[in-house]
Amino acid sequence: MDTFLIHLLNSLLYASVLFLIAGGLSLIYGVMRIVNLAHGNLYAVGAYTTAWAVGRVLGGAPTLVLYALLPVGAVAAAALGAVLEPTLLRPLYKRAEEYQLLITFGLLLVLEDRIRVVWGPYPLAASALFEGPGSFAIGESIYPTYNLAVITVGGLAAAGLWAFVYKTKFGVILRATSQNMRMASALGVNVNRVYVQAFTLGCFMAGLGGAIIVPQQGAVLGMGVDALILAFVVVVIGGLGSLEGALLGALMVGVVREFGIAFFPEIELAVLYFMAAVVLLIRPAGLFGRT
Amino acid sequence: MGEVSRRDFLNSLGVTVGAAVAASAGAVGSVVGPSKAEAQVRGTIPDKPYKIGHMTFFTGAAAVLGEPSYKGHILAAEEINAQGGLLGKRKIETFKADEAAGTDANVKEMRRMKLSEGIDLFTGVISSGNTPALGPVAEELKLLTIFVDGCTDFLFDKAVPNPHYIFRITNMQSADGVIAAVATAMTWPKVSKIAHIHPDYSYGRNAFDHFKIAIEKLVPGTKVVYEGWPKLGTTDFTSHITNAIAAKPDLLASSVWGGDYIAMYKQGLRYDLFKKMKFTSMIAFGVAPHAIGKDHPEGVIGGIHSNYYWNYPPAGKWPLNDIFVKKYFDRWKEYPNFQSEGAYTTLYLLKQSIEKANKLIGGWPDDEAIITLLEGASIAGPAGYLHIRADIHQGYKDAVTGFSVNSPDYPFQILDPKRMITIPIRNITAPPGWPKGEPTSTYTWIEKTWPKVTKA
Repeated sequence: MDTFLIHLLNSLLYASVLFLIAGGLSLIYGVMRIVNLAHGNLYAVGAYTTAWAVGRVLGGAPTLVLYALLPVGAVAAAALGAVLEPTLLRPLYKRAEEYQLLITFGLLLVLEDRIRVVWGPYPLAASALFEGPGSFAIGESIYPTYNLAVITVGGLAAAGLWAFVYKTKFGVILRATSQNMRMASALGVNVNRVYVQAFTLGCFMAGLGGAIIVPQQGAVLGMGVDALILAFVVVVIGGLGSLEGALLGALMVGVVREFGIAFFPEIELAVLYFMAAVVLLIRPAGLFGRT
Repeated sequence: MGEVSRRDFLNSLGVTVGAAVAASAGAVGSVVGPSKAEAQVRGTIPDKPYKIGHMTFFTGAAAVLGEPSYKGHILAAEEINAQGGLLGKRKIETFKADEAAGTDANVKEMRRMKLSEGIDLFTGVISSGNTPALGPVAEELKLLTIFVDGCTDFLFDKAVPNPHYIFRITNMQSADGVIAAVATAMTWPKVSKIAHIHPDYSYGRNAFDHFKIAIEKLVPGTKVVYEGWPKLGTTDFTSHITNAIAAKPDLLASSVWGGDYIAMYKQGLRYDLFKKMKFTSMIAFGVAPHAIGKDHPEGVIGGIHSNYYWNYPPAGKWPLNDIFVKKYFDRWKEYPNFQSEGAYTTLYLLKQSIEKANKLIGGWPDDEAIITLLEGASIAGPAGYLHIRADIHQGYKDAVTGFSVNSPDYPFQILDPKRMITIPIRNITAPPGWPKGEPTSTYTWIEKTWPKVTKA
């Protein structure tokens, strides 16, 4: 029973971070119809920035200050997004989709290289934050307290995003633009502004995912591409462009991966792709996808 | 078969513990490092640069190994160039390539470097997925190649069983699993339930297979209670750790490495993983040394890919290592790892062979002459004596592993130089002439020739 509870918490931990990454990816696609291949690297920028900031002030700083630094990564990723959309993506909206794929793929490579130039080839850690709260007992086992914070942030992000999209005026504009950009524009919506806001918000989520998980996992080169692939598995299952889909997809991936590792460790790599393949066969647009 | 005691069998393997520098190879040629007076060079030497392609990981998670490889290479090249270059004339010019481009792209890059840049030597390479693809192409291109790593047994077992142009200087991969098992059997002979976590690719599979076959001989009756196979590049190990703990093993064996391993041990600490079981790694301390924090558990077996750790041979015992570590630190402000040592020794091995060939035939020696002198060559490097087996062109040096310890002298955790375990590599790998086997020749050799010990 204890072990089962730990498995469940592990699943939620994994799902929380995945939701933040995949949710941002889906939000951007839903509003702007852009598949941002560099999305995983914005997650990496979030992780590296937070680890770097924590590393800079470590040594004597009270722990509370360190925790206050967590969101730095999310803000950095959002700021980067706010710059990238108008400069790099906007000129390409009138062109065919392949151009957007090419430019975001190019961006992926550039960011990957920039991260190495700025932060070097060795992993960065912010593990003081992970160690700070220690562990608590679950039966005979112990569990890292920090993981609960990650799960909480993931949950709050999902709830906050839902409220934002469905309960605010901006959410209405966002959904209207998403459903019919021309009509929204004709009705007086400043589409350019909506786009940059949506893109920034999506990047903020990715950066937040990186920022809250970096104390537990560290920041390593290549983490962005890995995250991107997993985020695609999630949106394939949930449906690209759907936040509900991203949430359900992330939960499914979290649970299936956790119990896959427990019961079929030999095929850990295959299990997620198998699930995505099944969904593609049954519902090609994903569980919540618009057909 | 009569009684076989573990103690007697380990003695027969030549296992030594502590600060001994075991002599292994036969005749030793020259040593690494700048020589004082340049030996007399015979004949005229062209002064055009000697071009070397060095391929290693500059991006991606494996850059933690790639960066030290490149730094070791550059240090040696700078030293040789400061003396005027090879044979005092030919300056080394390095072309670097990013191994992270993928196997197909790496093969193309090797071709391009040979055909467009006209490189004289190809070196580097870390991944065991790449050497079996690059090896046959180097043979086809007639490109002199010294792989630093990419140490899979498969390369000389199957991919290129009769190499001519390609050499490799790190110990064969199977040594990792075998020495980890030997160290485990010596340290914790009572373990019986064993959990495994290995990256799911050729290296992890190889480490698992060889650890398993060797531990079955040395500690009969062990059983595997959990196997976890995370993807290479994974930094979330919560599930694997939970499952390993739930299986209640006596020991966890793991070949997870680089940034992956840093994440794994930090997460393991928060689950009390290391308090609940013993821990043996094949390669944990193979990363750039400062990447292992002081929070890492002490007294565990922290493998170094069975090749080299910077504080062994210990200070004062083996001047070549003292000098190398100091020069490396002065140049790069960090300590070397086994890739640094391998890449560094590679260039001096090349230099030695070129100088000997020149002494014999005069002028700049062609590749055939260099190859003849590389075959069976021996050199004293920072890690100890290195011997190149003439039949399979494989580097042989004592396999090493050690135990983690904190020292007030360093801001990171180190391996305890007083407790290093060394084994002559010839005693734990298949000998020349042994028939090719599955999954490796060394595996079938251990399976068929090692006795099962029956008492301590």
